Amino acid sequence: MNPNRVTPLLCTWMLFAVLSAPAWAEGDAAAGKQKTWTCEGCHGIPDYRTAYPDVYSVPKLGGQSAGYIVKALQDYKAGSRKNTTMGAIAARLSEQDMADIAAYYADSSVGK
Amino acid sequence: MNKLIVSGALSMLAASAPLLAADYEAGKEKAAACSACHGADGNKPITPDIPRLGGQHYDYLEHSLKAYRSGARDNAMMSPMAKPLTDKEIKDVAWYFSRQPGLVTKY
Repeated sequence: MNPNRVTPLLCTWMLFAVLSAPAWAEGDAAAGKQKTWTCEGCHGIPDYRTAYPDVYSVPKLGGQSAGYIVKALQDYKAGSRKNTTMGAIAARLSEQDMADIAAYYADSSVGK
Repeated sequence: MNKLIVSGALSMLAASAPLLAADYEAGKEKAAACSACHGADGNKPITPDIPRLGGQHYDYLEHSLKAYRSGARDNAMMSPMAKPLTDKEIKDVAWYFSRQPGLVTKY
């Protein structure tokens, strides 16, 4: 391939890579700990279960991938993932709140 | 006294219900496909937006897979993975991942 053609291609690819990178806020685990009081009532109780209509254990979050927690909260806020309780809670969270909470749960050295 | 023994035996039976319904070895076999993204034992996701599964609650994993299968929960990757699974296969896979070390309840 002609090198003169490769450079613009490469630049386009790099620009695309930068633009399509997920725009996650940097999470602060210590700040996140202060924001988990609403989470604790369910996720902090071992083997806590949801109530009607679907009964199942609420997921364990300690050690969970930070990016996944952020995505779950974003989806609940946007309504693309549906759960009445989580939808109401996520609706009040900012992107920074989500990143902080995710950093807290992902970092197992904080808390306990 | 007899009532106590009977109710004790019944509650033990209830607690081991997944054991009776789910097959660990069959789940392990099925889980090979999951490991491509969720990592070995569901504990090393290949990207940060993919959840860890190791140690997660059995019934939560079952609930999630059924939600992906029905379309109640939508994900470009997980929906097609869950679609062909039977109830039994979902229970097996969920049981396998729930028995791995990994996630904890943190507060």
